[in-house]
Amino acid sequence: MSPTIYMIILSTLATGTIITMTSYHWLMAWVGLELNTLAIIPIISTMHHPRSTEAATKYFLTQAAASALILFSSMTNAWNTGSWDITQPLTSPSHILLTMALAMKLGLAPLHFWLPEVIQGSTMTTAFIITTWQKIAPMSLIFLTMNNLSTSVFLLMGLLSSLVGGWGGLNQTQTRKIMAYSSIAHLGWMATISSIMTNILIMNLLIYLIMTTSVFLSLIISKSKTIQDTTSTWTLSPTLTIIMLLSLLSLGGLPPLTGFIPKWLIMEELILQNFNLLISMMAMSSLLSLYFYLRLTYTTALTLSPNTTQTKFKWRFYPNTSTMFIITPATISIFLLPMTPLILL
Amino acid sequence: MVYFIFITFFCLVGGLAVVACNPSPYFGAAGLVLSSVAACTVVVEFGGSFVSLILFLIYLGGMLVVFAYSVALASDPFPEGIWDMSVGAYFTGYLVFLVGFLAVFGGDSFFYNFGVIGSEASGFNVVRGDFEGVSLLYGLGGAGLVICGWGLLLTLFVVLELTRGMSRGGLRVI
Repeated sequence: MSPTIYMIILSTLATGTIITMTSYHWLMAWVGLELNTLAIIPIISTMHHPRSTEAATKYFLTQAAASALILFSSMTNAWNTGSWDITQPLTSPSHILLTMALAMKLGLAPLHFWLPEVIQGSTMTTAFIITTWQKIAPMSLIFLTMNNLSTSVFLLMGLLSSLVGGWGGLNQTQTRKIMAYSSIAHLGWMATISSIMTNILIMNLLIYLIMTTSVFLSLIISKSKTIQDTTSTWTLSPTLTIIMLLSLLSLGGLPPLTGFIPKWLIMEELILQNFNLLISMMAMSSLLSLYFYLRLTYTTALTLSPNTTQTKFKWRFYPNTSTMFIITPATISIFLLPMTPLILL
Repeated sequence: MVYFIFITFFCLVGGLAVVACNPSPYFGAAGLVLSSVAACTVVVEFGGSFVSLILFLIYLGGMLVVFAYSVALASDPFPEGIWDMSVGAYFTGYLVFLVGFLAVFGGDSFFYNFGVIGSEASGFNVVRGDFEGVSLLYGLGGAGLVICGWGLLLTLFVVLELTRGMSRGGLRVI
């Protein structure tokens, strides 16, 4: 792709999300989502092989259907109530449509099937964009409309997402698919807390974005496309294995790391609301997620896989990918737990 | 006006059933054109005559291209029509399902309460209320116009980038 077109498309990708986040009118929110979808299509199919074209088609079909549902629900709502404001209450058919559309945009459990397929078909960087930046716009719409959406539906979708994310990731050998299922599981936690306390939702989204950034950047630097590729990370950079280990455990939500903050606060809040069965099931499902993170850490940092003599000295060469951007997200995704009282917005 | 609305809705539902049940692109595209004409007429009856005209022109332009391409690519000398058993059964089934759905869930509250026959439409006269919104695009809503134009330009870039020829195109495998 020529750099000019790439610049135009990337800036529109950013602008679309920002338009959706800052809009107060349903039409502008829809326009932002559409700009966002259109801009990422050529980025997904950059490599132009059949698999990436298929991924771009799948992404386009699901996102266009979800955007059309959002437009349809807001138009039905405007027809009934005369109001285009996002924060105004929604009528009964339109809030059901909106719930379905936002779940489809995010990849929440009953509508999650497109996410692993699309991510596996695109490059590592594109998968990184899809699992992080593309979640912000629908999540901001959920944040704005949460008072008018159904609580029990979101609790059920959240539970189902965390279960599906845990079960689905168990059998995967491709790191991108593991990250896709990890994204589904984390979005399940966010969907659960979204109907109860939205400031924990925002904090969870931010922490999820930072942790995923850290893991994806380390996967990009070590060029690990499968679990097998992660076994030779130590030849490239021994420090990176430690960063990857701690980031993955943080993504799994182990206590002294950052990933424990959202799980802790969500558990506390749900127990406070007497959702004991729900939260114990979600905690069990996060054990399933933890299993495949642990398997990745095992191959990455806890084993020295046998290799030829020359590969042992790969770390002496200057790395040909930029390693600068991982510093801040890795630090934040490992050490933020003592800051918990400060970052709960 | 009530009979007119009945006819347009009949064509809309029938056209969509034709699209859904026909395996042949000839009849599928023809059903799509029929249902789009009917849907634009429905929008006129809702009071949106200007937006209906714009939608009709743009949609029909796109549909002509789709129709030409699908007919040219199909080259089917014996297309399955509505009178074949497999297609006709689906067609009847869809119609029965839709009418049954309306009869069971319709009532006065779900489908009929959206003001199809409003005060704006009486006889064959429809007030052109939506045209006033166009002037807003050149005044207060200028930012919206710029964003819409940017979206259309972006679509052009995206389509060009996706269908780029020779070694870089998405269709080079075919």
